[in-house]
Amino acid sequence: MDALGDGTRRLILERLRGGPRAVGELAAELPVSRPAVSQHLRVLKEAGLVTERRNGTRRLYRVDTDGLAEVRDYLDSFWTDVLAAFEAAAEAEAERRTNDDARD
Amino acid sequence: MTMHATETDAIRKAVTVPLPVEKAFNLFTAGIDTWWPFEEHSIGGEQTESAIFDVDAKRVYERDADGSEHDWADIVAWEPPNRFLLNWRVNPARPDTELEVSFSAEGDATRVELEHRGWEKCGPEGRASYDTGWDTVLGKLVEAA
Repeated sequence: MDALGDGTRRLILERLRGGPRAVGELAAELPVSRPAVSQHLRVLKEAGLVTERRNGTRRLYRVDTDGLAEVRDYLDSFWTDVLAAFEAAAEAEAERRTNDDARD
Repeated sequence: MTMHATETDAIRKAVTVPLPVEKAFNLFTAGIDTWWPFEEHSIGGEQTESAIFDVDAKRVYERDADGSEHDWADIVAWEPPNRFLLNWRVNPARPDTELEVSFSAEGDATRVELEHRGWEKCGPEGRASYDTGWDTVLGKLVEAA
């Protein structure tokens, strides 16, 4: 199962990098309903990416690095995206520099 | 022999960009705000306003529109314009992983190499060693009492 093939699930995992959160908090921050967030959390839990803990009356979700292979794969594509964005910005800056030089 | 990536192997990525080393280093760090894909890759998502490489405070963090801050990493080594090393927080409940980014000249361009390693510390075995570590510390306290 490709737990991280879904954009909303990737967003949930990003949110949880900041620390444990409850379903309601996640739903408030994401453009999806609370039941949809619960559904996505269930998939992430089954994939070993997220773990659930009861804190008083609240259930908090956090990143679970026991599912290390999945988390590592996720970070692999994370860095691919990040470096692609950096490369695009560097190329744009190089072009600006060339244009500036041409004007001098 | 076929090599298989295992879950604890370092992640390695590289890209060559058409800027001198110093410009590339500055764009990556001081200029992170101008290119980081916040929408997909930040804790605050659409709320995220900026990311900051705070060299004096030795930390990298993002800031939301409402002023709240989320830590990404601690700066462990800072060697502009060639290299920096961070303790990157993947899971707040576990030891950090290490992220090293190096910048080297390739003619007029710069090769940027990124290595994200230390996965073994972040997984279940990492936690086990943490747990044992605390047992040892607490054991000593008990003995001392």
